Amino acid sequence: MHTTIRVLLACTITIQVAGMSAQKAEATLGQTASSITSDRNALSAVHRATMTRSSYTVQEFTSGSGTVREFVSLPGIVFAIAWNGLVHPDLTTLLGAYTAEYQSALKQTVRKRGVRRHQVISDQVIVEKWGHMRNLQGRAYLPALIPSGVDINEIN
Amino acid sequence: MKSISLLVSVLVTLALSGCGGGGGGTTSSSSSTSSNTTSVSTFSGNVLTITVNGSLCSSSTSSSYPNKPCVSVTICSPGTATCQTVNDILLDTGSYGLRIFGSVLTGVAPTQIASGSGSLAECVQFGDGSALWGPVRTADVIMGGEPAVQVPIQVIDAGFGTAPTACQSADATPAAAGFNGILGVGLHDYDCGTFCTLASNGMYYSCTGTSCTATTAPLANQVRNPVALLPLDNNGVIVKLPALGTGGATSVTGSLILGIGTRANNIPSGVTSYPADQYARFKTTFDGITYSSSFLDTGSNGLFFPAPSSGSLPACSSPNAGWYCPPTTINLSAITTGATSLPSSTINFMIANANSLFLTSNSVFSELGGTYAGGFDWGLPFFLGRDVYVGMANKTSSLGTGPYWAY
Repeated sequence: MHTTIRVLLACTITIQVAGMSAQKAEATLGQTASSITSDRNALSAVHRATMTRSSYTVQEFTSGSGTVREFVSLPGIVFAIAWNGLVHPDLTTLLGAYTAEYQSALKQTVRKRGVRRHQVISDQVIVEKWGHMRNLQGRAYLPALIPSGVDINEIN
Repeated sequence: MKSISLLVSVLVTLALSGCGGGGGGTTSSSSSTSSNTTSVSTFSGNVLTITVNGSLCSSSTSSSYPNKPCVSVTICSPGTATCQTVNDILLDTGSYGLRIFGSVLTGVAPTQIASGSGSLAECVQFGDGSALWGPVRTADVIMGGEPAVQVPIQVIDAGFGTAPTACQSADATPAAAGFNGILGVGLHDYDCGTFCTLASNGMYYSCTGTSCTATTAPLANQVRNPVALLPLDNNGVIVKLPALGTGGATSVTGSLILGIGTRANNIPSGVTSYPADQYARFKTTFDGITYSSSFLDTGSNGLFFPAPSSGSLPACSSPNAGWYCPPTTINLSAITTGATSLPSSTINFMIANANSLFLTSNSVFSELGGTYAGGFDWGLPFFLGRDVYVGMANKTSSLGTGPYWAY
């Protein structure tokens, strides 16, 4: 269970446009992590770290309004995304090709008043949100692509 | 929109002594002026009645909404005696500041706060994925028999300007939201804080006509927990709700007491203080796992936590998916711990079959629980039978300097 935290880019600039929704550097769910490297220039505005686990790596992007973590399997596929911050990120960016099926499932999900969590399950992706003001959290993941032996509680 | 019953009465005077007192609003608080020892010891205007699914909750917004704590607040046009009392305000220790639907503010005119050449507006998101959108305006807010405080509030209006992406599905009516308004009296003062003064943030927007763009907001313009502005009772609140037997009740009545150790009626007694972190979180250990993202929230209507590994807590089937449905009521315990890892205490609780609970005619349940992903959300059942002290950040009482929870 060794964990290496390696700071790839330490920047003092933390300018973000409209919070996390504008982080161009994010790879999308189910795609390769290559866009993370190709967008290195766009990353100049965020602090970025990589954490290596036994069967995946976590790419972390931080802005003042929140943090997004992308879970990349050894073959290089983003199988999960987790976040926390002032706002929930724009899922249309993060879910990529899964956006349509998520939004369709979202429409079918009955709103439960008073509940401070929410879960949307579609054919291939599960989206969960929870938390409270100034500390909103959530995750989106592809159950079929989670590497074996990875506990869902690690996606946080 | 049509089914909204406006539980609203327009008042034309600031003589609102009837709002004070815990016994239903008939107490006369004749001397709310000087702060000498005598008035401090006798003052009871720092008490608001809470009804959980009771008379302060609107029936038109509360169906299928168990464990809903409601209070009443009075809103006045700034600097005037033109006021309006609004019921069905959700009491929420998980947020900060007052937000009220513009559609129920029929008798008062809060003052729009400018943002550059435009009008300041806000998009706030909640843990359930819902959101509230609308302009930020200054109002005089009266809680109980306290003096009015002038504070930025959010006037909820889904049709204001053009909502940003995150608020395009924002609740448009009290019926959709499940309340006329929400009173955030959690551990923080401002609903965003320093970050929103520095950079665009996804919360604050400047609107000109129908165009809204992300902006910064100075602290003075941010929506703010009105408790922080009270002259004396500004260091936190106490939530007092009675214990409840198994099977629940149709409603319960309790008190929200403003201030901690500031009056004769809010002196801490027999409680332990648990420090929270900058995100208003402390720790809970359950089923061998310690969750650092743990909090006490009257605005959450159940105990929400990840299911124990034993499988003893199956989730309900549709339409109650997300709630727990054990075959028989089970006893559980968890350890709550300060964010600084001290102190700790064991909390015993019960979880019953939610399908069975919802089949009764009751609306308030102490043994209602549901699934949660990454932490432990101690919702309203935690507060039943337990006085909970909400110690605001950077404010001090005999229980310490906030942020802290005490119980």
